[in-house]
Amino acid sequence: MSADATILAPVRSRPDIRRLSLSIARPLISIGTVFLVWEVAARAGWINAFLFPPPSAIAATLWQELLSGELLQHIGRSLYRLLTGMALAVVFGTLIGIAIGMTAWGRAIFKPLISAFMPVPTLAWTPVLLLLVGINDRTTIIVVFIAAAFEVIYTVVSGIEGMSVRLFWVARSMGASRQQIFWKIILPGIMPYLITGIRLGSGYAWRALIAAEMLAASSYGLGFMIFDASEYMTMEVIYGGILLIAIFGYVIENVIVGRLEAATVEKWGVQVAR
Amino acid sequence: MLANLATTPFPRMANAKPKIVADKVRMSFGRVNAIEDVTCTIGEQEFVSIIGPSGCGKSTFLYLIAGFEKSSGGTISVNGTTVTRPGPDRGVVFQEFVLFPWRTVLRNITLGLEIQKVPRREAEERARKWIRLTGLSGFEDAYPATLSGGMKQRVAIARALTYEPEVLLLDEPFGALDVQTKNYMIRDLQNLWIEANKTIVMVTHSVEEAVLMADRVLVFGARPSSIVADVRIDLPHPRTVDDRRLREYQAEVTAVLSAEVDRSMSLERAHPA
Repeated sequence: MSADATILAPVRSRPDIRRLSLSIARPLISIGTVFLVWEVAARAGWINAFLFPPPSAIAATLWQELLSGELLQHIGRSLYRLLTGMALAVVFGTLIGIAIGMTAWGRAIFKPLISAFMPVPTLAWTPVLLLLVGINDRTTIIVVFIAAAFEVIYTVVSGIEGMSVRLFWVARSMGASRQQIFWKIILPGIMPYLITGIRLGSGYAWRALIAAEMLAASSYGLGFMIFDASEYMTMEVIYGGILLIAIFGYVIENVIVGRLEAATVEKWGVQVAR
Repeated sequence: MLANLATTPFPRMANAKPKIVADKVRMSFGRVNAIEDVTCTIGEQEFVSIIGPSGCGKSTFLYLIAGFEKSSGGTISVNGTTVTRPGPDRGVVFQEFVLFPWRTVLRNITLGLEIQKVPRREAEERARKWIRLTGLSGFEDAYPATLSGGMKQRVAIARALTYEPEVLLLDEPFGALDVQTKNYMIRDLQNLWIEANKTIVMVTHSVEEAVLMADRVLVFGARPSSIVADVRIDLPHPRTVDDRRLREYQAEVTAVLSAEVDRSMSLERAHPA
């Protein structure tokens, strides 16, 4: 459990207004203080205002970019690549994970491959993909896929290993077919682990995406935006991009995955050992 | 009291149609012989309890009937058909409950019918009866994680009964419960067995449980095990623990069992694993 999750957890179960406002206020105060000191220091000339433009200037630039429509293009393109890559990683990662966990042939084929390739940093694939696929969305999507898939496969395998063989026995003694076992037993059974895999995988994927966009995006994407801005030394855009990456990273990891968790693991009252 | 006694069903008779027939069943895991030459016939609607020293292979024998494991030799047939795999004619209840944590009590119980593609409304209707009889009314929408051990085992029992298997296989069903809960459950469920009208095979390590509930107690010997005693408990249901005749049966089974436990201990000492 990460620190922010422990702050959020009691709020969901006990809708207490005082607690809720506190849980929102605390992080805002700490982040707000940093920005305030930064703003004052930059305006007073204590720090180099070119390298550290005041937050108000960053916000103004972001606002301009938003009005011009450029910013939405960057964000939209990044999210499209991320979500497409993640979706592929979840689907194929789950299937491969189940093949490894449930079948001898799956273990024989995939386990050595995964042990060999899991430690390779995702970005090491980018030059290969650039040559194979070219500078386009597919390259960044594949990078996202690789970054997330290993984590998904790994957690799905441990999810299946954590399921009691007796769950399958009960289902089979009810006369369940292979398809029914897949949909009614395996998928819900691995769900708590799969969610952990999605949480970790989306974190890796987000980082890999931004880096890949710097290397392999011809236009648009938050990573590209930052890289492009560094050419023109527009520091406001660079900081604005970093800020947006932080915000979207937080939203994806905590809000989207958090919802998924609330609808499954928390509702069922299941604990997952991490 | 007398009128009450007259209406209570007597033990199901031994001359009933054979339901489960085990013929020279053997089971070995690698070089360890768990079961050697078990032959027995369990009649239609008979309640048979299997008891034996721990590690004697009694649960393994139950899994062979269920079709979860394959025997190393001999055959088991249910209704005259040789068992090769699990099937909906045999329902199973495990010591560890084995509920599906992602399903509510009601959805756990209706799963068997859902798998058999029974429409949801009808499935719920049929589940209601067993929910009521197992005392689970009011808990339909609870998730297993919120239930106590006793309640979980009720769900597992209701789940196994709802899809109406002909044979009910119980693997130490009260083994994971504390003594109070266990006694309460046994008392509470005695009528359920009568109502269920099933052939029941229950593995247990408690002599008291065995003689209290079963029509017949099979005592398995130390490993490699075979049946060393077959005791018919000729008492009407429901029974109470303080019945003098029940205590006599208990003493009889205990005597056979202790001899086997002694034998298994001395074997273990002679050939340490």
